[in-house]
Amino acid sequence: MKALTANRLADGEAVFWNQGQWVPRFKDAQLFEDAAVAETTEGEAKSQQTVVVDPYLIDVIQSEGLWAPLSFRERIRALGPSNHPQHGKQALGGDDIAALQHAHGAARSTGRVNLIKRK
Amino acid sequence: MYRYDNIDKAFVADRTAEFREQVERRLAGEITEDQFKPIRLLNGLYLQLHAYMLRIAIPYGTLNAAKLRKLAWIAKTYDQGYGHFTTRTNLQLHWIKLRDAPQILEHLAEVEMHSMQTSGNTIRNVTADPYAGATADELDDPRVWAEAIRQWSTLHPEFSFLPRKFKIAVTAAAKDRAATKIYDIGLAMRRGRNGELGFEVMVGGGLGRTPYLGSTIREFLPTRHLLSYLEAILRVYNRYGRRDNIWKARIKVLVASLGAEEFGRQVEAEWAKADHERTDLPDTELARIRAEFTPQFETLSPRSEALERAKAGDAAFARFLRHNVHPHKAPGYALVDVSLKTPGLTPGDITSEQMNVVADLAERFSLDELRVNYNQNLILPHVKLDDVPAVHAALAAAGLATPNMDLISDIIACPGLDYCALANARAIPIAQHIAERFADPVRAEQVGELKIKISGCINACGHHHVGHIGILGVDKKGEEFYQLTLGGSGEEDASLGQMLGPALPADKVTDAIEQMVEVYLRERKDGERFLDTFRRTGVTPFKEAVYADAH
Repeated sequence: MKALTANRLADGEAVFWNQGQWVPRFKDAQLFEDAAVAETTEGEAKSQQTVVVDPYLIDVIQSEGLWAPLSFRERIRALGPSNHPQHGKQALGGDDIAALQHAHGAARSTGRVNLIKRK
Repeated sequence: MYRYDNIDKAFVADRTAEFREQVERRLAGEITEDQFKPIRLLNGLYLQLHAYMLRIAIPYGTLNAAKLRKLAWIAKTYDQGYGHFTTRTNLQLHWIKLRDAPQILEHLAEVEMHSMQTSGNTIRNVTADPYAGATADELDDPRVWAEAIRQWSTLHPEFSFLPRKFKIAVTAAAKDRAATKIYDIGLAMRRGRNGELGFEVMVGGGLGRTPYLGSTIREFLPTRHLLSYLEAILRVYNRYGRRDNIWKARIKVLVASLGAEEFGRQVEAEWAKADHERTDLPDTELARIRAEFTPQFETLSPRSEALERAKAGDAAFARFLRHNVHPHKAPGYALVDVSLKTPGLTPGDITSEQMNVVADLAERFSLDELRVNYNQNLILPHVKLDDVPAVHAALAAAGLATPNMDLISDIIACPGLDYCALANARAIPIAQHIAERFADPVRAEQVGELKIKISGCINACGHHHVGHIGILGVDKKGEEFYQLTLGGSGEEDASLGQMLGPALPADKVTDAIEQMVEVYLRERKDGERFLDTFRRTGVTPFKEAVYADAH
């Protein structure tokens, strides 16, 4: 299962693709079961140059019955910095945030599709 | 404090206006991200995990109250109300919006600041001894020369597209508080046989993936030839530095591959054919710069009865004096460290409210000056001994008086994976955990000088190679692990740390530090620092303690 993420151009916020829109919370991200559909959508996202910067696919896993990014790095993007819990998306709280906080998995090198191929 | 002249003001204003237009064109889709990225980086604007990060240049780490108040206001207005001081003595704001960046640069220009030279393959913001102009052990104020380098290097057309970034540090004291041996060029002032002042010129230092200590290519360069000699070094580097491989592009790789002697020979040949008069600073300009760095000290008694009385009745204040207050060249004055290392908080972070407190103290008690130290703390450089009790009280009320300078909880940590797009692992939580374990000031004082430096990736912004204990975050099979090194130093006794053993998981790092501290306390002789004991015993007893369970 995959999700599509990027940073919003105007403010740099981490955002996630959902049916042609970019949403700030991971729980609202569209999940792609079909890798080919995910890659086609990634191509579409890359054409939105005045909306987002550097869209890419990430692997997601189940955590506490909800979905979470596999990569630790991506979970930090979806939450905010661990040294300032009052900053970033984590400040909003909720079950989805708790699921991300409790998720276990990889650190940076995995979970970001095609990371090695990128410059 | 150097004040901008009309030339400085005009080019900063031009640059700010240019960037405003570039941002508008990017937002309108007239230029692509690939075209825009190098432009924003040349203005210190990075895109990180949560937002844009603006790195603001603080030339040779010197600030005044007006500048720090402006930084506080910008952090509160455009960011989350705090900033992060770095090992390059710059300030990073981690929650910046692209659309606000041009406005922020305009506000910075109002107080003679900018964010140029904090990114890109240029000569970066120059750093200097943070005790400059206040310490008795210096031959000259190194900021005079650092400011000359700033003026010469900013937007230098020949050196704006170097093979890789380029960093210069200057000191004029025997004690190296500017880490000159880990810089692309380190300049250490020396006095020649005839009394003339000159620089020992070191090149090719640097950390990162391939760490090197700088090599001396000239024992004594008369100060008047500084700029022409720097130009010769940069020309040789610009011509032969590798542009085909980012990991081999720094000058350290060129110096290592040619050998320092051959590199030095090429620099001398380049310098010999240059027109020195064209590049070197005229005496009149040097005098103009020097006049900006001449604070007027009062004639005071070297002993303060007020301070002695306060010390006698207050153990916490006495401890603060032992660790955070240092001798000044002028009788009756002291340098006072402002600790940004409260155990449990983020190393180098300071809130807008705290910035305003420090700005007020600088204005009232330190001749309107303050400094940023590369160890991510601040310094009030010119405090009268009589005023130290009041300064301590104000700092303590603001949470800025932890008496831990150079002690185990005075940890350098880069932002790491909590913010940085390059990081492999977090650095801040590791620093927080270690500092909390050693938060007891009595215990920290018993352990004594111990410099822990943490980086979240091999780029080594946290200087882990030169920590007495260095900690490097790595990604090991998808988990955050930490590689420990021992015996590094970034000072006049510079050395690169030695690997302890296999990397440790995050929850074992603090225990390992504590085990190594126990070994040190057991083994140390005659007031040795941790570093001295390590150099005497070697790595074996430390390794045995940390990996005992594994055997």
